[in-house]
Amino acid sequence: MKHLALFAAAIALLALAPVVLGGHGLSVMTLTLTNLVLAVGLNLVAGYCGQFSFAQAAFFGIGAYTTAIMSRDLGTGVWINLPAGIIIAGLFGLVLGVPALRVKGHFLAIVTIAFQTVVYLTLVQWTDFTGGQNGILVPGVGETSILGIIRFNVQSLDSYYWLTLALAAVAIVVAWRLVHSRLGREWIAVRDDETLAQAVGVNTTTTKLSAFVASAAFAGAAGALNAYTMRTAAPDDFTIFISSIILAIMILGGKGTFLGPIVGAFILTIIPESLGEFSRYKMLFFGVLLILTITFLPGGIMQLVRNARTRRA
Amino acid sequence: MDLFLQYLANGIVVGSSYVLVAVGLTLIFGILGIVNFAHGEFYMLGGFAGIGLATVLGLPLIVSLLGVVAFAALLGFLAEQILNRQVKDKDPTNSIVSSFGLAVVLQNAALLVIGPQPMLLRTDLSMVPVEIGPVYLPLQRALIPVAMIVLVGALHLLLRYTWVGMSLRAMAQQPTVARMCGIRVSRVAIVTFMTGAVFAGVAGFLMSSVFMVHPLIGNMIVLKAFTVVILGGMGSVTGAAAAGLMLGIVESMTSAYLGNGLRDIVGFLMVVIVLLAWPQGIFGRKLERS
Amino acid sequence: MTETETNMTRPVLEARGIVRRFGGITAVDGVDVTVGQGEIVGLIGPNGSGKSTMVNLLTGELAPDKGTIRFAGKDITGVAPYRRARLGIARSFQMLRMFTSMSVEDNMLTATHIHMKRGLLSSLLNLPSARAEEDEVRARARDLLAMFELEQFAGRPVTALSIGQQRMVELARGVLSGPKLFLLDEPAAGLAPPNVDRLIALIKRMRDEFGISILLIEHDMRVVRELCDRVVVLDSGELIAEGHPETVVNDPAVIEAYIGKGWSRRAQA
Repeated sequence: MKHLALFAAAIALLALAPVVLGGHGLSVMTLTLTNLVLAVGLNLVAGYCGQFSFAQAAFFGIGAYTTAIMSRDLGTGVWINLPAGIIIAGLFGLVLGVPALRVKGHFLAIVTIAFQTVVYLTLVQWTDFTGGQNGILVPGVGETSILGIIRFNVQSLDSYYWLTLALAAVAIVVAWRLVHSRLGREWIAVRDDETLAQAVGVNTTTTKLSAFVASAAFAGAAGALNAYTMRTAAPDDFTIFISSIILAIMILGGKGTFLGPIVGAFILTIIPESLGEFSRYKMLFFGVLLILTITFLPGGIMQLVRNARTRRA
Repeated sequence: MDLFLQYLANGIVVGSSYVLVAVGLTLIFGILGIVNFAHGEFYMLGGFAGIGLATVLGLPLIVSLLGVVAFAALLGFLAEQILNRQVKDKDPTNSIVSSFGLAVVLQNAALLVIGPQPMLLRTDLSMVPVEIGPVYLPLQRALIPVAMIVLVGALHLLLRYTWVGMSLRAMAQQPTVARMCGIRVSRVAIVTFMTGAVFAGVAGFLMSSVFMVHPLIGNMIVLKAFTVVILGGMGSVTGAAAAGLMLGIVESMTSAYLGNGLRDIVGFLMVVIVLLAWPQGIFGRKLERS
Repeated sequence: MTETETNMTRPVLEARGIVRRFGGITAVDGVDVTVGQGEIVGLIGPNGSGKSTMVNLLTGELAPDKGTIRFAGKDITGVAPYRRARLGIARSFQMLRMFTSMSVEDNMLTATHIHMKRGLLSSLLNLPSARAEEDEVRARARDLLAMFELEQFAGRPVTALSIGQQRMVELARGVLSGPKLFLLDEPAAGLAPPNVDRLIALIKRMRDEFGISILLIEHDMRVVRELCDRVVVLDSGELIAEGHPETVVNDPAVIEAYIGKGWSRRAQA
């Protein structure tokens, strides 16, 4: 109950952001929440289930292109495109999960890098379908309603921010339930000791696949919505660098902890976006941070928090 | 048929550069257990250093080459200092993450210092034609397979017959025993990284006459090299040599007969198939994949 | 034999003619092992005699080259390890294995997933039915932890416990999964003598109170003598003796396998 109250208070506080923040601040916050959904999703497969993935940006892109292509070719709206983005990204997650059943560690990391690159190259080169390097323009969400009851108009920056906030809130709740369900315990079991997990009756095949699907589905949701916010889907938003940013967020925050990627998303989006004239050093900053964190603080910020707590106890 | 031979020759040229990059990658993995994602940056920086020395400073090619070797060796040394810290007892993917971080740093440093403009090395050698039957190559390109054979051959002899080589192989097979037998592990690690970086740097310099060099080129190169390493079997130098040439040829043929768009994708498809079908690599010995 | 008699005497585990080779070496060569309902069977033999291979064949980590394994009347020869666990085969490991990032209680709970009746969806949605089931399982886990004198550690990280205590968690976890058969792979290894006495008592209780049949791989002959109804002796992958522990330990072939001519003969081969 305490958790729930804190969570509700945090969301309520964040909902007030448009009151205080201007245009730039609000776009940064929207980006923060998008990164949050991506990192929370990545954490399911990489943090909890221990299956490393460099491909989160690929699933992000698959979600975005689902929105873009379906809007263009089928004229569908957000309430069709968003679930479609989640499902299609989830299916691709299943595809990436299959090699994960055969290879581990280094090899799995390389396979996910290859997957990420193939998706990117496809987006760039399949010009007829994806619009190539220029991408596809996406219409706004516009006037819409939830089940025909609650009507609203999504046009302003504020309303896109609120929509993203709603997605982030849902994502956090879903992730919480996943991690604290039987499935979450099985993910951790597979990460800790696969042989033992099998010996106690865990079907490690479906467990791993479910983690890949869940993780990809989160990214698909973020992508499907982000295409609306950005009004475009273009391949350069889905490169391996974006994957590395999401990875940095998860690792700096603390992989395999619930709060880690959430904390990481705020720190690693807001700081680089506030660099102003130094923003061209942004990627340099991410790279250095990735090296320093993994070398000196592999457990991330949450590890510091835990250490401080045990010292007090 | 003539055209086919020309494609084959082009494939061998590009494949030779893959071999040079992949050999270092496979050595670093085989001996130190590190997956060095920053390896493509040795290639990129080798290319830029070479262009700088040869065209900006106007040094003779052979002097430029020596300069590239020295520069790459220094890079390898520095990379070892950064990356070889966290391998022991920790998550094996940590080295991927930190080397990936290093790659991002080097790429963006290059972007800031050199700028995004692609560069090509033009020398007098590119004017000298080499004709073997129906196949035509500028001398500068024809030198790439030659350099590859010389370097990989030298490495092979080094690994086989010298004390350094024996320590390296001992480390690859039994790190703990090697340590007990008095092999200076840290020195082995430095030598391995420097060798790998020099090979990749030389490849970058030689290839700068074939493909444009730009700050982000390392990404694609390192993925190609990983492809080669996986196809050839992790840790196997001869496997990397065979697989590198094969990848170059397959790419050249794909691009010629199936379309240029598929060129970069075909290698990844091969990787996925190989990992699923022969987890130890086509040419590799059996190895635990974890 | 009447119908009831066959049912009563039908073994829980019945492995027949098991062969397993590694390259040119035959690690297990035509071995039969049966464990009857409520029986404690010892599997002993010198190092390298094929005991561990046999365990891995029974749990499904390895597949036999020849032979069949029947469990509770079903052929399970090609069945995956996790399915065998679900059918009711629990195991402990010679080299202790734990979910190292979990608490003692969570380590226990992973073993109960196989018996949870509520669907995954209700677990995800945290429905009252799923919560009630989880509470019930937790209560059972606590009871078992109490039996193994671990209740005060329930919330602790499992790695904070001593090796001996972790061994007990392993046993409690196995019992909690409600198996018909428990394969214990050297449970006394590394235990101090007073703890070995406790272990013996606990294994007896597993059989008497929980009706679990047990296959015990053990080097400590005191444990074997006090617990086992029957002992199977392996040497170089072959079954060389079977019977009551007291008879078997005095069997010349067994003595030879452990200390005598066996060594010299194998050295010559």
